[in-house]
Amino acid sequence: MLSRIAESFFWLGRYVERAEATTRLLAEHHQLLTEDRSVPDAVGCAVLLESLGLPDTGTDTPRALVRAVVGSEADPTTISGSVASARANARAVRDSLSQDTFEALNAAHLAISRGIAFATSPGVALHEVLERLLVVNGIVDWTMPRDEAYHFLVLGRELERIDMIGRLLAMRHDLMWPSSGAAAALRAAGALSPFLRSGKPITGVNARHFLVLDSTFPRSMRSCAADAEEAVRGLQRLGVSDGSLLLREVGMLRSELEYAGLPETEGLDRYITESTEAATRATNEVNRAFFRQHGTVVWSH
Amino acid sequence: MADVPTFIAPFDEMLLPDGAARPSHQDLCTAIADFGAKGLQERATQRDAYLDRHGITFTLGERERPLPMDLIPRVIPADEWRRVEAGVIQRIRALEAFLADIYGPGKVLAEGLVPRALITTSSHFHRQAWGISAPNGVRIHVSGIDLIRDEEGRFRVLEDNLRNPSGVSYVLENRRTLAHVLPEVFAHHQVRSVSEYPLRLLEALRAAAPVGIIDPTVVVLTPGVHNSAHYEHAFLARNMGIELVEGRDLYCRENTVWMRTTSGPEPVHVIYRRIDDDFLDPVHLRPDSVLGIPGIVNAARAGNVTIANAIGNGVADDKAVYRYVPRLIEYYLEEDPILPNVDTYDLGDPDQRAFVLANIERMVVKPSDGSGGYGLVMGPSASDAELTRAAADIEAEPRAWIAQPVVTFSTCPTVVDDGDVQPRHVDLRPFAVNDGTRVYVLPGGLSRVALPEGSLVVNSSQGGGSKDTWVIADDVAAPSPSAEDVPEADNGVAVAWPPASPAERANSPVAHDDRLIQQERQQQQQHEAQDDGRKGAPSAEVPPC
Repeated sequence: MLSRIAESFFWLGRYVERAEATTRLLAEHHQLLTEDRSVPDAVGCAVLLESLGLPDTGTDTPRALVRAVVGSEADPTTISGSVASARANARAVRDSLSQDTFEALNAAHLAISRGIAFATSPGVALHEVLERLLVVNGIVDWTMPRDEAYHFLVLGRELERIDMIGRLLAMRHDLMWPSSGAAAALRAAGALSPFLRSGKPITGVNARHFLVLDSTFPRSMRSCAADAEEAVRGLQRLGVSDGSLLLREVGMLRSELEYAGLPETEGLDRYITESTEAATRATNEVNRAFFRQHGTVVWSH
Repeated sequence: MADVPTFIAPFDEMLLPDGAARPSHQDLCTAIADFGAKGLQERATQRDAYLDRHGITFTLGERERPLPMDLIPRVIPADEWRRVEAGVIQRIRALEAFLADIYGPGKVLAEGLVPRALITTSSHFHRQAWGISAPNGVRIHVSGIDLIRDEEGRFRVLEDNLRNPSGVSYVLENRRTLAHVLPEVFAHHQVRSVSEYPLRLLEALRAAAPVGIIDPTVVVLTPGVHNSAHYEHAFLARNMGIELVEGRDLYCRENTVWMRTTSGPEPVHVIYRRIDDDFLDPVHLRPDSVLGIPGIVNAARAGNVTIANAIGNGVADDKAVYRYVPRLIEYYLEEDPILPNVDTYDLGDPDQRAFVLANIERMVVKPSDGSGGYGLVMGPSASDAELTRAAADIEAEPRAWIAQPVVTFSTCPTVVDDGDVQPRHVDLRPFAVNDGTRVYVLPGGLSRVALPEGSLVVNSSQGGGSKDTWVIADDVAAPSPSAEDVPEADNGVAVAWPPASPAERANSPVAHDDRLIQQERQQQQQHEAQDDGRKGAPSAEVPPC
C-alpha cells in the first residue's frame, strides 16, 4: 500500500485513541476536582495540563480546565485538536475506510466544532464526545478487513495507549488525592470495575501495577505492547519489506512487561518510563521504515 | 402522658423562620439562586438523561424507574453530624448487645426489662438462630437508622433497620450524578467523601469470616433481577469486586456452602445476603422458598459460613421493641441515649390504647413488623373509613401495631416540577458498618424527600425521592499536597516527563509547516479546477519557473 495511506491509518489510530483517552481523563478529573475539594483547584488543574503537555496559563477552575483541554483544533494534543487531526487523516484515506467509520468520526468532530455544552455541563458534553469516539473504534473493529491498513491503525492505537497510560500515571493521583485518587485513576482508564474484579484492595500501588502489568485488562501497558507486537507481526505476514527493528522494539517491550513479575515501586516507575520511551522509539522506527518520503521539491514560493 | 401536639411549623434546614438563610447554608443558597427556575429545569433534564443512561433505577411493581434525585443537596454541618454519628454508633452497640442477649442467655428477658412475650410474638424472632455464634461478635454488619428532625431541629430516631437496609447505592450515585450535572454548587464546600463505603463494607464482611479462614470468599446474595433493589445488589458486588450470586448458584454439602463455578465447586465463607430471613433456608424457615439455600442455617450453626446480616435481627428493629431501645442503651452501655426516640404509645397498655383510639386522627399508625411504608395510616390525611379500619385492627391485635403522634419533620428546599423551589419534608438514613472493632458511619446517608406538597411519607416505594446529602468536613483539614511534591515517585525519583516532544506526537497531514500548507492550497485549487472545468489540465498548476 502507499506509504502516505499507511501513515494516515497509523495516525488515525493514534488520534482517535488520544481523543478518547484524553476525554475520559478530563471527564474523570473534572468530577474528581468537583467532588474532592482537598486539593486547591490551581494545583489540580496544573497536574493534568502538565501531564498532557499543555501550557498552563493560570488555569484555576475546573471550568477553565475543561476549556483548556478541549482546546483548539490547531493543537493536536487537545481533544478538539486530536479529533480534528483524526478526521483530517480519515479524509485522506476516505476511499479505504468504511462509510460508517468516517461518518462516526465526522459526527464526533461536528459535535465538538459546533460547541456542545462544555461550559454549562462539561460532564454531560464530554460523555457525548466519548460515546461517539467509542463508536468509531467499534465500527473499525467490525468493518475493517485485517489488511495492512488495519495493522497500521492498531499499531498506532496501541502505541498511543501506552503513551496515554504513562501520562495518566504521571499525575500520581494516589499521592495527590489520598482518599479518592486511586479509584479516580482507574476510572480514568476505564479500569475500575475490572480492577475490582481482581479482588485486590484498592491502593495507589495496586492500581499502578494493574495499569502497567495486568495481563487481562486490554488497556494495561503490557496488553498494549502485546497487541502492538501482534500488529507488527501481522504486517510482516502480509509481506511488508522492513519491520525487523520495529518488531524488535515492541517485542522487547512486550517481553519485559510480560516477565516483569511484581516489581517494587521503584521498579514499577522504571517500567512506566521505559515503556513510554519505547513507544516513542517505536513511532520513530515506524516513520523511518515505512513512511519516510522525499521532501517535495519546491520551485518557488 | 404528654398531650398530642397540634400543628407546629416544621423546622426548615436552610432558612431561619424570618426567611434568611442559616449561616451554614449561605453559600448553597446563593449558588441555587444564581440558577433561577429555568436553569434548574435545564439541569433537571440533564439529570434525568444521566440517570436513564446509567441505568440507576429501582423496580417498582413491574417497572424499572430512576430514583428521583433532587438537584438541591442537603447540607449537614460538621458539629451536627458528630452528634448523629455518635448517636448511631451508640445505638448499634446497644442493639448488638441486645441481639447477643436474645439469641443467647436472655438476661434482659429474665430481668423483665423487655417483656418475654414481646420477643416471642415477634414475627422476626427466629428460634432457629438461637445459639448461632457470631465469629467476631457482629450480627448487625450493616444498618440504616432512620432519623428525622423534629420541630426544634433535634435529630430523633424514627426506626431502626437491622435486616436489609437498602439505598446506599443511591447515596454514592447521587453524589456522582450531582457532581456531573451541577458541579457549580460544589465549589464552596468541603464535602466529606462517600466513595469508600464499598471498601469499608468489604473489610467488615471479611472480618466476619468463620474462625480460621484467612482469605475468605465473600459473596452478595440477591433474590434476582426482579427484586426492587437488584440495582443496588449489583452495584455493591461490582464495587466490592465480588460475586453476585442467586440461591441457585449455591448449595450446601457437609455443612459447608459451595458455589457452582466453571472450575468446579468453590467454598463460600461470608454471605452478604439481601434476601429476607424467611426465604433463606427452606429446611428451617419458609418451606416454599425457592430463593434460598437448603442447609445454610446448619452451615452457619456449624461455624463454616457467616450470614450477614445475621438471621433474626428483625426482632431488634421490630417497631414494638423500638420503644425499649433507649432503656436498652442505659441497660447495656450504662450511657444516656444521644439520639432520642419519637414518642410511641404502647398499645398493649389499656389506658394508652384508649388514648390512641380516641385521638386516632392525630396519630400515625404503623404495622409493627412492616417496612417500606406499607400499611401505614397517617391520621390527619386518612379518610374516616381508613381510620375506622385502623381502630378495628388495633382492637383486634394490639401487638401488630404501634401508634405515634404525627411528628412534623424538617423541610429542605426542593425543586418542584416547574423549576420552582419549595420546602419538602425529608428524613435521613445514615448507613453504619460494623467490622467488630469499630462502627463506621457513612458521612451523609440517604435523605429521602416526600415530593407531594405537605406529604410526610418519604419511602421510595410510596413515591418519595432522594437528595444528595453533604456532611461538611471539619475545619481542621489535612495539609493538601502542593504541585511540587507530586510528580515525584515514592522513592524520590521523578518520573521523566513528558517522554515525547510535541513534534513526535503529531503526523504530517496536520503539521502546519509552510510546505504542506502550500500543498494543501494546491490541492484545493486542483479541486476547484476540476469542478468548473475552466482551468485546464492539472499540469497547468505547476508553478512557472
